[in-house]
Amino acid sequence: MEQLIEQLKAQIIEALNFEDMTPADIDTDAPLFGEGLGLDSIDALELIMLMDREYGIKLADPKAGKAIFQSVRTMAEYIQANRTK
Amino acid sequence: MVHNGQPIAVEATGEKMLVELYRRFAGDYPKFFKMDTLSRLGFIAAEILLKEPIPSDRASRQRIANSQKPTAIILANRSASIKNDTDYMATISDGKYYPSPALFVYTLPNIVTGEIAIRHQMQGETSFYILDKPEDLEPILLSTFHTASADRKNIQPSTSALAGWCECSDANTFYAKIQIIWNN
Repeated sequence: MEQLIEQLKAQIIEALNFEDMTPADIDTDAPLFGEGLGLDSIDALELIMLMDREYGIKLADPKAGKAIFQSVRTMAEYIQANRTK
Repeated sequence: MVHNGQPIAVEATGEKMLVELYRRFAGDYPKFFKMDTLSRLGFIAAEILLKEPIPSDRASRQRIANSQKPTAIILANRSASIKNDTDYMATISDGKYYPSPALFVYTLPNIVTGEIAIRHQMQGETSFYILDKPEDLEPILLSTFHTASADRKNIQPSTSALAGWCECSDANTFYAKIQIIWNN
């Protein structure tokens, strides 16, 4: 799980173009939206694309995104349970 | 890189130059890193231009102080948002259909005017023109300060405008020359 979390942080940085940020700068349990990383709705779409592209996960229910994208840890847990690649 | 006639030394080249200038002249606006190159270029140019109060004479400063009228943002270039359009196209080619929403939102050149308006809370009109050359912008700028046309008669004329050329054709080829112009 820890390896997946670190990999996911690097992928988030690349997908969202946070080029001066390192994985160590992202708190695993901090909120991704609002506080914490302060992501917006466009970033949410990027994260959905990232999960599809890298892990073969298609989010069929947009409402589920709120729980999945609470933090990097909740994302990683969902990916581990649902990844197809 | 020149500001008010004074050269500004930069070490980085290409797109990295804009990041270097961001860190030097702004540094407090992380949304910069989400912007496409054209928006970064316009954003940085405006940051540097607006670092100091622009008018040097008392009359202009007083006019601003007394004015409730907004400042317009009017930019133009020749290549529209071609650099970002190309980047976006790359995300939907070669059989890997993963279009990037973050790139898509910048596939219009006028987004840069919005980014500047939000950053500096400029509430006047904003517009972006695709023109052959910078000189073609002059008659457009003149019209900004008049209310003669029917579609503008209910709009307060701007007292000033951040205006100029903001061109980005690829990651290493960009040029901006902007200034504040006043309605005397």
